Amino acid sequence: MSTVEIPQPRELEIVERSGNQMVVSMGPQHPSTHGVLQVITEIEGEVISRSSPEIGYLHTGIEKSAENLFWTQASTVIERMDYLSPISNALCYYLAVEKLLGISDRIPPRAQQIRVLLAELHRIASHCVWLGTHGIDVGAISAFFYCFDLRENILDLTEQAGGARMHPNYFRLGGLNGDLPEGFMGRLDALIEKFPGRMGELRHLLQKNPIFQDRTIDVGVLAIEDALEWNATGPVLRGSGVAYDVRKAFPYSGYEQYEFDVPTRTEGDAYARFLVRLDEMDEAMRIIRQVRVQLDTPGPVMVDDTKIAPPPKETIAISMEALIHHFKIVSEGVRVPPGDIYASVEGPRGELGYYVVSNGDNKPWRVRTRPPSMYHTQLLKTMLIGELIADMVVIIGSLDPVFGEVDR
Amino acid sequence: MPSSQTPPIGSTALDPTAARPPIDDAIIERVEPSALHARLSALRAEGYTMLLDLGGVDYLERSPRFDVVYHLLKLPSKIATVAEVGHPERRRVLCGVPADRTVLPTVSDLWKSADWAEREVFDLFGITFEGHADLRRIQMPADWEGYPLRKDYPLRGPARERTPRPAFANKSNVRAGTPPSGRTAQALQRQIALARGQQPPGGEEPK
Repeated sequence: MSTVEIPQPRELEIVERSGNQMVVSMGPQHPSTHGVLQVITEIEGEVISRSSPEIGYLHTGIEKSAENLFWTQASTVIERMDYLSPISNALCYYLAVEKLLGISDRIPPRAQQIRVLLAELHRIASHCVWLGTHGIDVGAISAFFYCFDLRENILDLTEQAGGARMHPNYFRLGGLNGDLPEGFMGRLDALIEKFPGRMGELRHLLQKNPIFQDRTIDVGVLAIEDALEWNATGPVLRGSGVAYDVRKAFPYSGYEQYEFDVPTRTEGDAYARFLVRLDEMDEAMRIIRQVRVQLDTPGPVMVDDTKIAPPPKETIAISMEALIHHFKIVSEGVRVPPGDIYASVEGPRGELGYYVVSNGDNKPWRVRTRPPSMYHTQLLKTMLIGELIADMVVIIGSLDPVFGEVDR
Repeated sequence: MPSSQTPPIGSTALDPTAARPPIDDAIIERVEPSALHARLSALRAEGYTMLLDLGGVDYLERSPRFDVVYHLLKLPSKIATVAEVGHPERRRVLCGVPADRTVLPTVSDLWKSADWAEREVFDLFGITFEGHADLRRIQMPADWEGYPLRKDYPLRGPARERTPRPAFANKSNVRAGTPPSGRTAQALQRQIALARGQQPPGGEEPK
């Protein structure tokens, strides 16, 4: 009987076997890889001597699909990349397209405030998933339920605003799909009220927990030079000491008017990244409180340009011009002037960027994502070396990759 | 493909000839493939500590056909506060790649992060990077044919567009000649036979 030959990754063939060397493959269906990641490691006893992460199990060709959709339709698939924080993807994509259109400074302030509000809410929601699963990875199961309860409140708010829990597709070119519905502010106030207590409980559960500290302190240490060399951004870079935050370095959507700190640690281990993300949740809530005050002032939520924004529904019945504009935008989409642009936002995982190329048509010519998760997954090549194989799940968890975004 | 229709006029936002404010905060430059590695290593020495991203664009009818785009960022390589980071410089280096010679020098010796990014450009655009230590497909299966992000690659994949879709009554994809992926039907038949422990059809493995 002939056997199917399984190809070995080239770099991991054991040429000479000595002592306790062994090749162990983890994944791609291992639950604690947070998705479909395969890590092939060469271990000596319990210490990892070489590792090779393999990705591509969730490749869905989103960039190719986006090239075949209208500019506004493309955001539907783009939201599916980072499925834990779809708002950041949509926001970044629209920021890039709005720059190409030259309408960046004409977005109404209320639309920008609601965009910031949802982006920060989703930062908390995304960190909730990370915190819950990171806890499970080290055996602390109870934190998971508290996290998902908090996340559920945020998803309820998203559902109310955009109509769907996970992928609301609420943002539009030049603003938003519509203003926030009635009753949203009441729920938001309840969440703002509830948040400090819930955060306190989560910190009590994990931050001073000696078992959790034992598992994370001095595990997966990432030096600054390595972090820059391997292109780490977001909480991973800030856990190593460089306070680079896109919201401060290249402010967008009016982030310059809010007061917030950039939590930074210098230890560079899994515990430092844990603390950075916890502090980030508090800072996100600080921004949300400031936005909440601004949201009492009503205003338009869509740019005043009939070639980009569909006219209000009620005007279609009485105005011929509105009907024509509506028909043109719906049937053939918006045309974007030719050019290329790079825009980035601070997503929950790091610098999320979009390099968008237009040829003047009603569909994007090319949408290239700068996926922070992919570069963080690549870090495993160097970070795992010299660590115990039992710490592998802790290190993967502390990098917080989302595989919808790694593979796209 | 560029549309035959011209953009509508009358709106400042959509008129390509209208004066628009500068839209990019990055420094943009274009280099030739032969000068690429020298230029990037000079920039690396100048303090561009991070290669933020590396991606490809296929312009199809333009010459050179492809662009490989490098996004660089100047960050201090020490412990730095928000004020010390400030507004770091961004730079975009574009490098045209002609269709008849899709080879570029690797920059993974300058920035290690270029490793997977270059593998992805190779996988999806078919541009090879000379000197890359482990250049193989990263997103698509190892035996995939074609480069999916090229503009002349069909959206639904080559295998599906080559043959008509099977009738609903004919449930087997293999028999209808349309394997569910870009693998050829012959390779798929062979794989199935091997998995069942049978003699593969066609004998020798096609090279």
